[in-house]
Amino acid sequence: MTISYSPGWTASIREVVIGATAAEGGTRRISYRIGGESDLPCIGSGRKPLIAFEICDDPALWPDVIRSACTKLVDNPPAWAAYVDTTLQADLIRLNLTSTRRRNFDAYDAVSKTVIAVLQATSLPLIIEGSADADIDSEVFQRCGEAGEKEKLVLGTAEAARYRSVAAAAIAYGHSVIAQSPIDVNLAKQLNILLREAGVPDDRILIDPYTGALGYGFEYTYSTMERIRFAALKGDGDLAMPMICAPSDTLTIKEVRAAVHSHETAVSWEVATAVAAALAGATILVVRHPGSLAPLRTAIDSLWKEEVA
Amino acid sequence: MALKALDIYKLLPKKNCKECGDPTCLTFAMKLAQGKVEPDLCPYLDEEAKNILGASTRPPIQKVTVGMGTLSFTVGEEFVFYRHEKTFYHQPGIMYSVSDTESDDRIREVVSQVRGCRLTRIGIDLVLNGLAVYAESRSPERFAAAITVVTQDNPDLPLVLMASDPAVMEAGLAICGNYLPLIRGVNDQNCEAFCTLAKKYGAPLVVSGNDPEQLAANASRCTGLGITQLMLDLSGTEGEFIRASTLVRQAALARSVPGLGYPVFLDVRSSGFSGLITGITKFASVIVTRPLTRTEMQAALVMRQNIYTDPQKPIQMTPGLYRVGSPGRDDPVFLTVNFSLTYFTLQGYLESTRRSCWLLIVDTEGMSVLTAVAAGKLSESVVKDAIEKSGLASEVNHKTIIIPGYASPLSGRIEEYTGWKVIVGPRDAAEIASFIEEELK
Repeated sequence: MTISYSPGWTASIREVVIGATAAEGGTRRISYRIGGESDLPCIGSGRKPLIAFEICDDPALWPDVIRSACTKLVDNPPAWAAYVDTTLQADLIRLNLTSTRRRNFDAYDAVSKTVIAVLQATSLPLIIEGSADADIDSEVFQRCGEAGEKEKLVLGTAEAARYRSVAAAAIAYGHSVIAQSPIDVNLAKQLNILLREAGVPDDRILIDPYTGALGYGFEYTYSTMERIRFAALKGDGDLAMPMICAPSDTLTIKEVRAAVHSHETAVSWEVATAVAAALAGATILVVRHPGSLAPLRTAIDSLWKEEVA
Repeated sequence: MALKALDIYKLLPKKNCKECGDPTCLTFAMKLAQGKVEPDLCPYLDEEAKNILGASTRPPIQKVTVGMGTLSFTVGEEFVFYRHEKTFYHQPGIMYSVSDTESDDRIREVVSQVRGCRLTRIGIDLVLNGLAVYAESRSPERFAAAITVVTQDNPDLPLVLMASDPAVMEAGLAICGNYLPLIRGVNDQNCEAFCTLAKKYGAPLVVSGNDPEQLAANASRCTGLGITQLMLDLSGTEGEFIRASTLVRQAALARSVPGLGYPVFLDVRSSGFSGLITGITKFASVIVTRPLTRTEMQAALVMRQNIYTDPQKPIQMTPGLYRVGSPGRDDPVFLTVNFSLTYFTLQGYLESTRRSCWLLIVDTEGMSVLTAVAAGKLSESVVKDAIEKSGLASEVNHKTIIIPGYASPLSGRIEEYTGWKVIVGPRDAAEIASFIEEELK
């Protein structure tokens, strides 16, 4: 008697391409084709999740633990990006344009400059988090999109209430979009439909289910991701996009802020969240603490079988 | 797979006779689907329906208890593959490992790490569950001596005994067997001897096998020898574990392979912290790990709490009066609901304002402000009750409470009913800092 696993899936996750090499019209040394899984995480021949490391252009609002872990880099996004690329060896860099969160922000030229400088400092594909304010979205995303033209960036973040600017920049310059909904499978689906109607092709959307921090609602994120993956594998094309999940959100919680051994705490909590997120179906795991990279890489290599080339 | 309420309803007599204690057959069916009542309560079920319902409400995964007394824990009795389908019931026991070749002092130190670990979150104590002693010495005397070190002061600490030589295992069981430790070490050669030991002490037994077929066959062999308290050993790399545990869980829930309907044992001494997190999320019931750092231990216990929270019943804060900072008699009182996320969010924003204040948590059965107002769970009488029970009036010199913005429709009624002045606060906790700055100078 052979006992076999028979999940009864009928569909697979859609593939999304991130980054463009010279052959693909960009300047990245590598590009990634993510998604394509036709089973649960770690089962079958699905691809390993990628690790994205977060940097920003204005660290004032970032957790102390990150500013102290990256002291000499936090005021220099290109140097920070180069460090993430060559020393930490992340798969992707997520550049957060936190400067745009300041009141009365209007330094749009600086946005373009930062994006271009980071693109020059690293040859990894980039995710760019633009503004979070509808009043300046249009200009900020336009600048990001333009500065990274042909590089197949991932632009974030589209939400149900403000997605048109980021969608427009993605369509105009050939980038993908992160679609974030508040930990709810139906809202995730709805936003994907809105983006499609706005003209964003399905294979250029990533779902961000919104990451509740460990101990502060992570269980909702975990189950929402499992439900999205389940729905996608059962054939719901509106949810069949790869997911991006940000365990780095865990770094803002009290346990980490108040910790005596704050770096050790940050790494433990971030890695725990990232491993669980990967098992729930995340395709891109976003971390912020340099110490999280190595243990997370080891865990993923052990969880996933060697990829079949 | 458990039957849905409507499927069950089709099997019922549909007489609405109320003899089961429920008003209609449909409500009875709904309770059956949730496993809250037994099918026997219906006097009119035919045999076939009884068989179908009995099989579908009996747990597909055997219940197994490790240890005796207040520290003992029960695992198994799970019904679903995804926690969102219903809930995961019995959280895994996490056991720190020690070798019997380690010094007595080191063994005592690990025991005290296990016993001293207590993390309290939202009024719930999160604990490590016990100790796993492995017979690295291969000596019956040393194994027994190491276990004696543990049991001298802590006879009630649940244990896993790990040895593959029946003589060594027997020496260990002679010390602690009556406390029902989990026995691990069965292989093809020693199966009969181990079953004899498990039977003698009534202790649960971990069975292993190189593949699911062999594992199921070995489990059936043990049940054939009269052992019913079994666990399945799926230790391996993280990836091997996930693939095996997915298959075993699926087979168990489908009741397709009787030998796989048992809780899962996982040894993560080589895969470490990420192996532990993997085990917690993906169906392990007893996990043996090397002693963790304090921060890893905390993250793992919180992950376990998150994953084993009932999705239909949000984590609730215990209602009552809480302090943020060190509030005095003139400091403001904020009222909110006992949905844990609401509490955590508000508490976080209040702490970041560095303004000491009181936080009055009222019992809305874990509902958020908006849902509680809509469902009538947050009302003037609930507020009055909370003010009285908490003894708020004796803690402060004023009679003013600040209620959440979404509760503003209740402000007048609360004032009339309680006699306290009500200030309506912001809807979003993120605006609490500017609210304090502008309204409470």
